[in-house]
Amino acid sequence: MENFELVILLLDATLRTSTPLILAALAGMFSERSGTINLALEGMMLGGAFAAAAVAYYAGSPWVGLLAAIAATIALSLLHGFACITHKGNQVVSGMAINILMSGFTALVGIALFAQGGKTPALDKASRFQPITLPGAEAVRDVPILGPIYFELLSGHNILVYIAFFAVPAAWWVMYRTRFGLRLRAVGENPGAVDTAGISVVLMRYRAVVCSGVLVGMSGAYLSTAQGASFLQDMTAGKGYIALAAMVFGKWRPFPALFACLLFGFLDAAATRLQGVILPGIGEVPVQLVQALPYVLTVILLAGFIGRATPPKALGRAYVKER
Amino acid sequence: MQRKPLLGAIAVLSAFLPGIIATSSPSFADETIKPAVVYSTGGKFDGAFNQSAFTGAEKFKTDTGIDYREFELRNDTQSQQAIRTFARDGHDPVVVIGFQQASALAEVAPEFPETRFAIVDMVVDQPNVQSVVFREHEGSFIVGMLAAMASNSNTIGAVGGMDIPLIRRMTCGYQLGAHYAKPDANVLVNFVGTTGAAWNDPIRGGELTKTQIGKGADVVLQLAGGTGIGVLQAASDAKILGIGSDANQNGLHPGQVLTSMVKHVDVAVYEAFKAARDGNWQPGIKSLGLAEGGIDWALDENNRDLMTDDMEVAAKKAKADIISGKITIHDYMIDNTCPN
Amino acid sequence: MSNVVQLPRWIDVGVLPLLNLLLALVVSALLVLAIGENPVEVVEILLYGAFGYDEAWGYTLYYTTNFVFTGLSFAVAFHCGLFNIGAEGQAYVGGLGVTLAALYLDFLPFPLMLVVGMMAAAIFGAAWAYIPAYLQARRGSHIVITTIMFNFIASSLMVYLLVNVLRPQGSMTPESEQIAEHLRLPFIHDMAAAFGIDMASSPLNLSFVYAIAASILVWMFIWHTRWGYAIRTVGANAVAATYGGIDPGRYIIIAMMISGALASFMALNEVMGVQHRLLIDFTAGYGFVGIAVALMGRNHPFGIFLAALLFGMLYQGGAELSFEIPTISNDMVVVIQGLVILFTGAMEHMFRPRVTKIYTAWRLRRDRMEAA
Repeated sequence: MENFELVILLLDATLRTSTPLILAALAGMFSERSGTINLALEGMMLGGAFAAAAVAYYAGSPWVGLLAAIAATIALSLLHGFACITHKGNQVVSGMAINILMSGFTALVGIALFAQGGKTPALDKASRFQPITLPGAEAVRDVPILGPIYFELLSGHNILVYIAFFAVPAAWWVMYRTRFGLRLRAVGENPGAVDTAGISVVLMRYRAVVCSGVLVGMSGAYLSTAQGASFLQDMTAGKGYIALAAMVFGKWRPFPALFACLLFGFLDAAATRLQGVILPGIGEVPVQLVQALPYVLTVILLAGFIGRATPPKALGRAYVKER
Repeated sequence: MQRKPLLGAIAVLSAFLPGIIATSSPSFADETIKPAVVYSTGGKFDGAFNQSAFTGAEKFKTDTGIDYREFELRNDTQSQQAIRTFARDGHDPVVVIGFQQASALAEVAPEFPETRFAIVDMVVDQPNVQSVVFREHEGSFIVGMLAAMASNSNTIGAVGGMDIPLIRRMTCGYQLGAHYAKPDANVLVNFVGTTGAAWNDPIRGGELTKTQIGKGADVVLQLAGGTGIGVLQAASDAKILGIGSDANQNGLHPGQVLTSMVKHVDVAVYEAFKAARDGNWQPGIKSLGLAEGGIDWALDENNRDLMTDDMEVAAKKAKADIISGKITIHDYMIDNTCPN
Repeated sequence: MSNVVQLPRWIDVGVLPLLNLLLALVVSALLVLAIGENPVEVVEILLYGAFGYDEAWGYTLYYTTNFVFTGLSFAVAFHCGLFNIGAEGQAYVGGLGVTLAALYLDFLPFPLMLVVGMMAAAIFGAAWAYIPAYLQARRGSHIVITTIMFNFIASSLMVYLLVNVLRPQGSMTPESEQIAEHLRLPFIHDMAAAFGIDMASSPLNLSFVYAIAASILVWMFIWHTRWGYAIRTVGANAVAATYGGIDPGRYIIIAMMISGALASFMALNEVMGVQHRLLIDFTAGYGFVGIAVALMGRNHPFGIFLAALLFGMLYQGGAELSFEIPTISNDMVVVIQGLVILFTGAMEHMFRPRVTKIYTAWRLRRDRMEAA
């Protein structure tokens, strides 16, 4: 029974740690399926986290903070689009530039506004997303097996966690069941054909990176106003890259990406809890190995040893009209 | 380890370059000292360790009107340059905060034999360095007692920052204190990481706290510098009790912080500045504990209602007993083990 | 796009990068204004901090040394058409090589150690670059993603080694033991003192000389050897290279290994030269600065040296800045770095049409005047 509870707790933590990954991985998917590499997830997430925490602090509402985060990440997406789509600049370089820029920019503005070494002031309850108790959770709490699953695991998360999990089927639906999604995938595979059909490749790609901005903005807001209670310098700590890895691992598809995020989130949650713990029979777990696993797995997948991850055909190439 | 004397000579010469005035020799009282502080990676607003140092420096400034300079490290590699820059610019005394800076200070101190340095939390054996260390296990023993007494579930937790003997010493004292008050108390201990990043990761701190709460803990002590903010936040969110450390953190979430294990880094910084100004600064090791007032537990209007008479009496008695030597607390750092 | 005008070289490698740099600096200045500080004062402090006193020069050139190595690293891979984002990890692992050599072969005399240290760094760095290179060349895995992944894997690996293996008994800081004194690279000020020249003490050391030598070697390699030619051919058009009898995979691997080795030489400066031990995160983002440096320097060793000097100046001046103006931290330098990559890298084509127009108009007028 005790082990069962431990598993529930670990899965509960997995949901919390994978939420920002899911949102960011979906964001990356929208951008990349339309043919624009998005290495800037890390920087955008950071920018979103900062905007959310700073604005929520002044406004006293997490929702206003969330809107600010989304606005900030849409702006960054447009900047990325301006460099890559309009000026046909190198997409990798643009992504790296945004990551480095935001790492410095958020700290610089944070110090100028709050003079707390790049942090934002701690947010009070009203300015953060609070846990939501699902209906009936208290009532079934003591029912064996199902009670803990419902009460501990499913109930008691904040709204952004539920949004993230809802976003996966929604993204699937948009991507595979709407005309917008069809065109979006088409500009990522064969922009020439889409252009011939009279649809603007440039406009389509801009719309895709804006979708990407909306999603990654939410993941940033989650870090600073839901999971945490303030912004910290470089608080994303590579989560944007992990999300990118999860997207690749999920072969640029929503549901496989979700599972990759859950797996990576689980590894992170487990690693956090295993730090300095000596397991009977095993000894001290090399936590660093667990932490490196998402990256190692992604490389193995990319190498084609466990299935093949095929990126969209036109990924990374600016569209040049043929004359 | 020892640098060539020539190096030091050049370093001193360079202090006389245009625009930079070297001041003060360590031998006599001096009203015009130019003190400086180098904070560790958590930054001076970590709400804990560094902030306490900041408080001490600020107090010195208001008391004496002598301004000071400060620098917050972004990563540990900056330490050497920061200390050297202050020393070169004629700052004296230079107080560095945190054990992570020890090797950097050991490198720089011999280059500036005329400059008085102090380091908190680690011993650097140089003729011009004062090393201030705390006997934290004395304080964590008392808060461990209080935690066990306040717990209804009989399960209490502690979240440490970096997994190092310094922090293990505190978790060990905490366990011993808990078992002293309640022999059957269940104590959970987790660590955030193995690098300096562990001091500045409130989200991971919060995650560990949530797990401990899930395992039944209803009092959780933070021993994690800037990460501890996340521990106390998670405790407050779950409506259980947190325990602060380093600074008095009772006011962060009034009514949700049982007490704080106060480590008077502020006093250490203040005393180092003051001694330098008064001309009675001494190198060597300064060990501060309950007896010297360097370590204490905090009781104020924010946690008054959480503290029963029994608890207060027990804590005060234990404090007196530790000072008198009636209770001796095992020091983890002597043999790297914790009895139990 | 249709009427491609060949711009003269001085515009291509001189005017355009300068315009882009200028734009980055103007945006930075606006940011300083927005924060409420005076940009002129900031520039003054930056320049004073970078060049204002003897020691500052030393620090500026010490940073420059790192950036030359990481810039060259990026450039060599770039000439082969590859984005090596992994300099950070390669340098980190290279540092492990240097440290192991210095700790376990400490009986070697210094001149021999110099060679062994270089080789150890190069072998470790090249090996770390080899895996992504092999995967790109033989299995088609996107090198950008794999090198990013390898940065993180390197970081985990090094934390593990520093915490569990290299940390001396009883030490709390995750760093290796100090390397023996006679194995350290001599400081430039010590070398000068031996000739009776008095210089302020700074971390500038022998590796700076090696950085200059490496720049020349890379220039010779890329433009004056058969391998260099093959690498550039693959970079220009891999398919055409295949028709020319060149195996692109082979040169992708060669270019990446050289790139990794160059990045790892940064560890000579940091580990053997300055810190004298292996520290957590000693690479401190210098690998990423290399991207900016290479892009600004147009992937030419001479340009890279100038760009590295610029960033060395920004880093040292930026450190001074954070001492002088508390509201502006050295994050300002990170912002400038990001803007430089954005404008000179991602938006390098932004000014080109306009400059081309101005240039053609000017040439037309000149031609007409000559005709008249």
